[in-house]
Amino acid sequence: MRDIVRLSMVLALIAVMSAALLTGIHNITEPVIKEREQREYIEALEQFFPELADYESEEIDGDTYDLVYDQDANLMGIMATVTTYGYEGEISYNLAVDDEGEIKGIIVTGHSETPGIGDVITTDEFQEQFIGKGYEDPIQAGEDVDTVSGATESTGSVISSVRRTVITIGENFLDKEGAGLNLPSVDDGVYLGSVEGTRGILTAEVEVLNGIINRIEIVEQHETDAYFVESYPLIPERIIEEQSLNVDTQTGATLSAERIIFAVENALNGAPLEEGSGGDSLDE
Amino acid sequence: MNNKSVYIQDLTRGIIRENPVFKLLLGLCPVLGVTAFFINGLGMGIAATAVLVASNVVISSLKQFIPPQVRIPCFIVVIATFVTIIDMVLEAYQPALHEALGIFVPLIVVNCVILGRAEAFAGKQPVLRSLIDGIGVGLGFTLALGILSFVREVAGHGTLMGPDPESAVHLFGPEFEPMGLFAQPPGAFIALGLLLGIFNVIFKKFNIK
Repeated sequence: MRDIVRLSMVLALIAVMSAALLTGIHNITEPVIKEREQREYIEALEQFFPELADYESEEIDGDTYDLVYDQDANLMGIMATVTTYGYEGEISYNLAVDDEGEIKGIIVTGHSETPGIGDVITTDEFQEQFIGKGYEDPIQAGEDVDTVSGATESTGSVISSVRRTVITIGENFLDKEGAGLNLPSVDDGVYLGSVEGTRGILTAEVEVLNGIINRIEIVEQHETDAYFVESYPLIPERIIEEQSLNVDTQTGATLSAERIIFAVENALNGAPLEEGSGGDSLDE
Repeated sequence: MNNKSVYIQDLTRGIIRENPVFKLLLGLCPVLGVTAFFINGLGMGIAATAVLVASNVVISSLKQFIPPQVRIPCFIVVIATFVTIIDMVLEAYQPALHEALGIFVPLIVVNCVILGRAEAFAGKQPVLRSLIDGIGVGLGFTLALGILSFVREVAGHGTLMGPDPESAVHLFGPEFEPMGLFAQPPGAFIALGLLLGIFNVIFKKFNIK
């Protein structure tokens, strides 16, 4: 019994000394680390906004958005610090837009993509293609920006994340509520629209009947099954119910959900396959 | 004189005859994990050496005080303390290296080279000999990491002193296409295997056992 007490005492004593030592060192290094992080953060902001005078941070869905002001307290733009998922793991990047929502630049700050393949996302060539794109632009692979062959998954996920971020900024900070995803007024008919997903094309077939979206089917997709079942048929049901593309994309399958929405949007922006088919045949 | 030769033996044993990586194949996790760039390999080696020397000294001075029944938990607490200190110091003053080494710094706690030296040497020997032993084994570990990361960086990236492209020295001009395999995890195994073979041949030739 006495032995156990002695053993515990020794162990406890060593642990207490260790804790005291660590507390001391922590008190020395902590301010240095904090100060450096703060400095690096401001440097990241200054890369896009050299005249920065003040900024204000807000968090939406785990990503940080900094509203940057100049000396006269005018909004110069917004920088988003975003984390998304690539092929190997998390990709984090900074994206800056000006006060109109136009992209000033994007810088990938951290990733674990395959060296020599997926790391093309860090090249200027890839990052610069976003500059000048804005809220009204599609920002879609194959349309106004390009994936890099061999690294479709890495580049594709950055592209869709950039689009999502631009829309989030527009809706939350620049009063562009729903403008990017408004349901266009379309004629009756059946429409096909595709988006390039990270694993391949996703195609939606949309039927418009008497001016309302009547039916949405995904006719081609290569999504990860576990994620896809989370968003299909739930997302089409929401679109039909709300008659809007501005529906809630539930977490867990956000990427799949958004691809479905984009595919439907693309479909409605295109020409119908069979004009007025549904409505007419019912009437006659 | 006799005393001196004991110390010299303590120092050199860890470098060649009982090199933790090339002879004993111990602590291979950081050896394989952080050796894609020379700077990182060297930094890891120095960090591990610092922990090893400090823990050897402390454990050796506490050996009368630590009851044998709880020696392993005591060793681990001492080692973990120094690892955490190194981790905090690196984060404060060497952020680039800290980021590159990442999880492998905290993992020094379970590096069997360090616990192995505590158990096999520092727990029994006087403080000065434990200090010299820590330096020797640490140098051997750093040497091994240095050689491996040098080979991997030159072959896998064609650079030296990377990964920062600004400071990296490109050894072979712009036409050079590096062997990307060596930069990736499987390349660590292949490079280590080749080096082990080469060192075995050398050890045999000079009759080092």
